Amino acid sequence: MTCSHKPSWFLAVLCAFAAAVPALAHHSFAAEFDAKKCSEITGVLTSVDWQNPHAYIYVDVKSAAGAAESVTFQLSSISNLRRGGMERKNMIDNFGKAVTVRGCAAKNGEKNRYAASFIKFPDGKIYRLGQDVEGLFGTNN
Amino acid sequence: MTSRVGYPMYVCALLAAAAVLSGTAAAQGRGALVEAIGTTEPDPLPPGGPAPRMADGRPDLSGVWFSGVIGRPSAWSRTRREPLEEEPVPVRPEVKAKLEGMTRTEIQLLSPGVNCLPLGVPGVFVSNPHPFQIITIPGMFVQLIEVSNDWRLVYTDKRPHPEYPDPLFYGNSSAWWEGDTLVIDSIAIDERTWVMNNGWYHSDQLRIVERIRRPSRNYLEYQFTAEDPKVLTRPWTSGWRKYSLSQEADQLFENFCTNNQNPEQFKKLLDLEVDRKR
Repeated sequence: MTCSHKPSWFLAVLCAFAAAVPALAHHSFAAEFDAKKCSEITGVLTSVDWQNPHAYIYVDVKSAAGAAESVTFQLSSISNLRRGGMERKNMIDNFGKAVTVRGCAAKNGEKNRYAASFIKFPDGKIYRLGQDVEGLFGTNN
Repeated sequence: MTSRVGYPMYVCALLAAAAVLSGTAAAQGRGALVEAIGTTEPDPLPPGGPAPRMADGRPDLSGVWFSGVIGRPSAWSRTRREPLEEEPVPVRPEVKAKLEGMTRTEIQLLSPGVNCLPLGVPGVFVSNPHPFQIITIPGMFVQLIEVSNDWRLVYTDKRPHPEYPDPLFYGNSSAWWEGDTLVIDSIAIDERTWVMNNGWYHSDQLRIVERIRRPSRNYLEYQFTAEDPKVLTRPWTSGWRKYSLSQEADQLFENFCTNNQNPEQFKKLLDLEVDRKR
């Protein structure tokens, strides 16, 4: 009996994990963020916390009333980011500049907290930042 | 202010998109993929010639290894993962009921990985999204584990298990070579680990027998057998998982798991979900 023939939930999950480890699933995206509430958010990149197991970036976004609100984006681990071509320098070089980040909203309703999947810098370059929960990239995760 | 930007502006040449459409994208029903730095699509590594050998003639398993066949992280890659066929895990009926009663959130939040616990055996291989480095010398197997800057040392002289082994995350191991395959027999594995990262918990009766071989320079293969009479109806043997030799800078990074998310918030989410089930 192979994976594809087992309808059981447990076995289905087992099969999903069996093929290979989903490399960015260290922490619980599915528990904390809503993959159906993702959007692109444009604002000014202000700072970065370059940490494991998750890095964070902060973007000032103007509200409808015109006031700037700080939006927090959770990223993958810095080891994943570095292996994916994203260095801390890329963030620092763009402090004070307008960036667009695609993020999925926190499930708990906490305002201005997202998990990021990519960032677009003013020079047009797009970098992966986290899991491909929407299937935007056609990758394994 | 949030603003949606149409996907087409992120798409590279139509030809590239069309090529990708034949793979994952088609399955997802998307006509255009975001092309981002970090996405890879390498071919699986060739065998790379025979495995190196140690002074005692056994295969040298040393190297930095990534799960999969591309010698680099597979998560942001479009290279298809090789399917792995395995028999269903023969869990006892009461265990099956318990596992099927768990929500995905519970599984996520209770998993050792999310809680920054050591991955244990066989989790260090099968639930490890990060690379590890193996160093073998005659008589010794050392595994340097990137996530949580962890390590594991196993003597390969077939020393017997003690009568009262301490329960440890990597258990008490007795190891030996069977031809070109390293066999590691571990008992007394801390019950806070999971056998796999899908909720497959275990008892104090768990025994894991790992088999590790290096069929060629670029590949490591891993299989384990689990015995756990309190959880399984009979022993279960995994398929052979492939790991490939790092094609990157051959170094591990510091990667402590500091739980820098919001564990209290996770707990609230879990409580909410458990309440809804009642």
